[in-house]
Amino acid sequence: MTANDRAVLDVAEMSPKIAGWSRTFDFLIVVVAAFLVWSVTYIHFLLLAGDWDFFIDWKDRQYWVLITPVVTIMMAAAFQAIFWNLFRLPIGATASLFLFLIGVWIVRYHSWQGMAYFPLSLVVPATCLMGALALDAILVLTRSWLLTGVFGGVLYGLIFFPSNWIYLAPYFQPVEHMGQLSSIADLIGYTFPRSGTPEYIRIIERGTLRTFEDNANWVSAFFSAFVCIFLYIIFWWVGIAACGTKYIPVGSRFKAMFAATATAKGTAA
Amino acid sequence: MSSLFRKLTLTALAGMAGFLSVLPQPAIAHGERATEPYIRTRTIHWYDVTWSTDKLKVNDTVTVQGKFHLLNDWPDAVSKPHLVFLSNASPGAVLTRVESYINDVPAQQSTRNLEIGRDYDFKLVMKGRKPGRWHLHPVLSVHGAGPIVGPGEWVTVDGSEADFKQPVTTLHGIKIDDLQTFGVARVQMWQLGFGLIAAAWLLWWLRRPLIISRWLALQKGREDLLVTRTDDKVAAGMLVLVLLVVIVGYTGTIAEFPQLVPLQGGSLYTPPLPEPRKAVAVKLKRAEYDVPGRSMRLSMEMTNNSDQPLGIGEFTTANLRFVNKNLPAALAAINPTFPRELIPGNGLLVDSRAPLAPGETRLVKLEATDAAWELERLVSFLTNVDSRTGGLIFFYDPKGRRYISEVYGPIIPVFKKTI
Repeated sequence: MTANDRAVLDVAEMSPKIAGWSRTFDFLIVVVAAFLVWSVTYIHFLLLAGDWDFFIDWKDRQYWVLITPVVTIMMAAAFQAIFWNLFRLPIGATASLFLFLIGVWIVRYHSWQGMAYFPLSLVVPATCLMGALALDAILVLTRSWLLTGVFGGVLYGLIFFPSNWIYLAPYFQPVEHMGQLSSIADLIGYTFPRSGTPEYIRIIERGTLRTFEDNANWVSAFFSAFVCIFLYIIFWWVGIAACGTKYIPVGSRFKAMFAATATAKGTAA
Repeated sequence: MSSLFRKLTLTALAGMAGFLSVLPQPAIAHGERATEPYIRTRTIHWYDVTWSTDKLKVNDTVTVQGKFHLLNDWPDAVSKPHLVFLSNASPGAVLTRVESYINDVPAQQSTRNLEIGRDYDFKLVMKGRKPGRWHLHPVLSVHGAGPIVGPGEWVTVDGSEADFKQPVTTLHGIKIDDLQTFGVARVQMWQLGFGLIAAAWLLWWLRRPLIISRWLALQKGREDLLVTRTDDKVAAGMLVLVLLVVIVGYTGTIAEFPQLVPLQGGSLYTPPLPEPRKAVAVKLKRAEYDVPGRSMRLSMEMTNNSDQPLGIGEFTTANLRFVNKNLPAALAAINPTFPRELIPGNGLLVDSRAPLAPGETRLVKLEATDAAWELERLVSFLTNVDSRTGGLIFFYDPKGRRYISEVYGPIIPVFKKTI
C-alpha cells in the first residue's frame, strides 16, 4: 500500500479492519461491475452495429469506419461518467472496450466457430480500445468532460481506422475470382456461406462519398470524429443520470444519503 | 424434505442449463418449411434440380444445378425480385462455396432485375469442409422477401475436417495457404497487445483502494488524493504510447500493403433464358384443398395450341412433384437421384388418360393427394393473407419433349369434395 493509498483511507476514516473489509467489497464489486459493463456494452453494440463488426466483408471504407466508433463511444462515455463522477476512476472507456473485446472473442470461438462453423478469418473483430485508452488518458489530463468530449471524442473517432487497419489491411489484397476483381475479404465472405445473410444486405460503399478519390475511409474517419464529440457529451450525461438514485426503488434514507451527495456534486468540469 | 428435493432439482436443472449453454450446438434445421405456403407456391418454382453426388470427401466438390421459374402470380405481399442472391441453405459453413452462376453469369455478388414470368439457369459448386450428413438446398434470397428455398438433398461428407484447405493466390502473386486461418494470427497478436496496454491501465487504477474509500474521499473534497501528479504523468505517457503505436503501426502497414482494393459491392444483370413456346393455355376454374383428405384438386380449362397431342405429366409446386404415373415420358423425366420425399407416392391423378389433341380445349381435373401437404406445412390456407396457390404443369408430346405452363388462382379449403 502506497502512502497515497493510506492517505485516502485516512481521509475516509477507515480503520485497518474496515479498510480490509472495504477491499473485499472492492473485489466483489469489480467482478459484478465487470459483468455489468461487459453485457451492457455488448448488447448495445449488437443492436446498433452488429454486422459491421461480425464479418470481414462488411468492414468497408464508409459505414464501418463511421458506425463502429460512433456506437462504441456511447457506452464508453456513459461508463466513464459513472466511474469518474462517483469514484474519480478514469477507467470507464477502457473497461467498456476491453471487456467488450474479451466478450467478442469468446463469442467468436464459441458461437461463430463452434456453432455456425464459420472460420475465424470471416469473423475477426475490430476494436476501439486504443481510442478508449486515449479517452481515459485525456480525462485524467484535463479533468473535464467537455474537453475530453472535444479532444478525446475527435481522437477516438480518428484513430479507429488506422489502429484497426494495422491488422485488417491484409484482407483487402486483390484477388481474381470467377473472372472478377475481388478482395480477400469479399472472397472469404463468399466462400463460407451465411444462409441467412445474402450478399445484398451488406450496407457497404453506398452513398455519394466519391469526391476524395480513393480516400473515402479518411473522410469517414473525420466525420466519425465529429459525431463522436456530440455522442460523447450526450452519453456522458446519460452516465451522470445513472449515478443518481431517483429511479432505484430503495429507501428514502439511502436516497437522501447517496443521491443528495452524488448528484449535487455533479461533474468534474 | 420436499424443500430439499426442490432445491436439488432446481440446482440440477440450473447446472444442466449452464452446461448445455456452454457446449456448442450445431443448428440442423434451416427453415425450408417455415416460409408461408402462398410464398412457396407462387414465387419461385425450382425444376430440373440435380446434385452431382450425394457422397463426397473433404475438399471434393458437389455441383447443384437446375432451373427456376418466377411465377406471374407473384404475391403483392412479397417484394418483387429486383435484387436477388443465389446461395445455398445448409447448417452453417459445412460446405464452402466455390462458384455460383445464374445463366452462366458469376453470382458472387447479387443479381438485379429478374423478370417475373421467365426462367433462369443456376449452378452452385460446393466443396466439402466438415464431415457429416448435411441437407443441401439451393436458395434464392429476394431483397425484401427473404430466402426462398429450393429442394434439398442429403449430402454426406467424409474425411477429416483438418484436411480442409482453401488456398488462393493474390494478384500480386502472394500464395495464401488457407482462407480459414488467413490473417487471424496477426489480428490476435495486435489485439492482444492492445489488450495488455489496456490491462496495465486498468490495473494501475484498480490496485488501490477503490469503491467506498474513494467515494468518501471525494465527498470530502480530496480529489487531489485520488488523481495525483503521478497519475497525470502516467496518463500523458499512455496518450503518447497510444499515438505512437497507431502512427507507427499504420504507416508500417500501408508501406507493407501499398495496393489494396475496397470491398466489391456492385450487382450484376443477366437476361432470362429465351422464352419457351407456350404450348398449352391453362385457365384455373377452381382449386380446393380437401383438409381431411389431404388432397389438392384443380379444375382447369386447357387449350392445346401446339400441333402435337400433349399428355399431362406433372404438377409441381413448393418443391413437391406430383407425377402422372400413367405417362411414361413423365416418369422418365424423373432423375433417379432426386430426393424421393419430394415425389409423393400417390402421384398426380388426371381425370382422363387421353392426351390433349392439337387445338383442343378441355376441362381437366387434377388431383394431388398426399400427406406431404401436411409434412411440408403447405396447408395453412385458412390463415393465409392471400389465399391463392400456383404451380407449374409439365406436358409431354409423343416424342417426350416437355412444355411448361403456369397455373395459379384462388384456393378454397374444403371439408368434403366439391369438384
